[in-house]
Amino acid sequence: MSEPVLELHGVHKRFGTLEVLRGIDLTVPKGSVVCVLGPSGSGKSTLLRCINLLEPPDEGRIVIEGKEITGGGGGDDLDYVRRRVGMVFQQFNLFPHKSALENVRLAQEKVLGRSREEATAKAHELLARVGLSDKADEYPDRLSGGQQQRVAIARALAMDPYVMLFDEVTSALDPELIKEVLDVMRELAAEGMTMIVVTHEIGFARDVANDVVFMDEGVIVEEGPVRRVIDAPREERTKRFLGLVLGH
Amino acid sequence: MDVVFEQYFDFGIMRDEFGFVLDGFWQTLQLSLIAGALSLMWGLVLALLRQLPGKRFAPVRGLTIAYVDAFRGVPLLLVILIISGSAPFVAEGLGLPRSVGIPQWFGKTDPFWYGTLAITLTYGAYMAEVYRAGIEGVPRGQMEAARALGMSHGRAMRHVIVPQAVRRVIPPLLNDFIALMKDTSLVGVIALLEVVEAGQTVQAETLNSSALTLGALMFLVVTLPLARIVDRYIAREQGRFQRGLAT
Repeated sequence: MSEPVLELHGVHKRFGTLEVLRGIDLTVPKGSVVCVLGPSGSGKSTLLRCINLLEPPDEGRIVIEGKEITGGGGGDDLDYVRRRVGMVFQQFNLFPHKSALENVRLAQEKVLGRSREEATAKAHELLARVGLSDKADEYPDRLSGGQQQRVAIARALAMDPYVMLFDEVTSALDPELIKEVLDVMRELAAEGMTMIVVTHEIGFARDVANDVVFMDEGVIVEEGPVRRVIDAPREERTKRFLGLVLGH
Repeated sequence: MDVVFEQYFDFGIMRDEFGFVLDGFWQTLQLSLIAGALSLMWGLVLALLRQLPGKRFAPVRGLTIAYVDAFRGVPLLLVILIISGSAPFVAEGLGLPRSVGIPQWFGKTDPFWYGTLAITLTYGAYMAEVYRAGIEGVPRGQMEAARALGMSHGRAMRHVIVPQAVRRVIPPLLNDFIALMKDTSLVGVIALLEVVEAGQTVQAETLNSSALTLGALMFLVVTLPLARIVDRYIAREQGRFQRGLAT
């Protein structure tokens, strides 16, 4: 694998007295897909939110493309980091007062300073890529959950991110809508996007991930190539969790 | 019964004084629109100051909260009296030009501008609370999504949060505007000849209240449609919300 896009060293995060992350070390090589598994409350989502500093870590270092983003880096730096790290949320969080096209266009214009024409062209291109060319002028409340989530992916991609973070993006979807979102993510992975995916979709992890990270109680219990961790876990906690979700 | 009718609905007096009362109502309208527009802006500024993030802005947030609490807690009449009775001396003491201490801009008298300032300071505080409810009613995920796209707090507020918040608070803001419009009559005490003051002048001369009734009717011509607009807007938004739930 090539050089790391993202490195985490000893990341801690506390909410009051609750320590949600208790020393996370993680290296993500360029172009790899890392799936993060674990029971609810294990700190998976907090980990993603730390990586784009929605929740600044209390301790530890985060390095993106060789640039440390933790410690002192606030203000402009912070916004710089966030636009190079795309994030897709469980609840989509599309802007309801804007059409699909405007959702994908807004930050391109306001953050990257692209012209209206350039941003519009890019938005159309990305909506086509997620299969929603015909929905460009629809508002979010007229779209299905799966369609909204695909617009959200296009919106994040519009910023040309180094890394994409997916936070349980199919958990709020009806079963029949999950596939269309996972298909978009599969394609993205095939094109070489670096992705960190918090998910309960073991099948997706097995097919797409290079590495799997299993988290519990704020620490990484086990990590490694997907076949090894999912098919031959070493740790007791991993085995128990996989047993529960796979119904062994 | 004739006594009652004559006391409140003497059409002769209404006809004779119509122009005088209407001039007063024109003052009321201008004061309402100017002070209303300024209150809308000042209230939004206050609400945004209160939402500034981080430890750095804690003093700003604290001062804003203190301001809003203070101006919501004292009578508008008192603010009007303080300003009109002190502005000329304070401005002079600070070495400001006479046109600041005794403003007579755009052909309006100084009581008009003292009233505008007092109403803006007071209603800005009320409206700040309305905006705050609107801003805090926008789901947290909206700010997070905007920040995750690299928008600064200010940009996210401007393009994502405030447009959604304002839509939610149009009805309560219109209600505040109706209240503001009625409260402009308090500026009558510092000799602005607005509609209530005009009506009262006629009442004192004729010992008949019909001019005040006329003033009341003029108010209703504006406030009743406004109240209906608020109702219709709420009904429409509720319909939209219920459709949203159905899909």
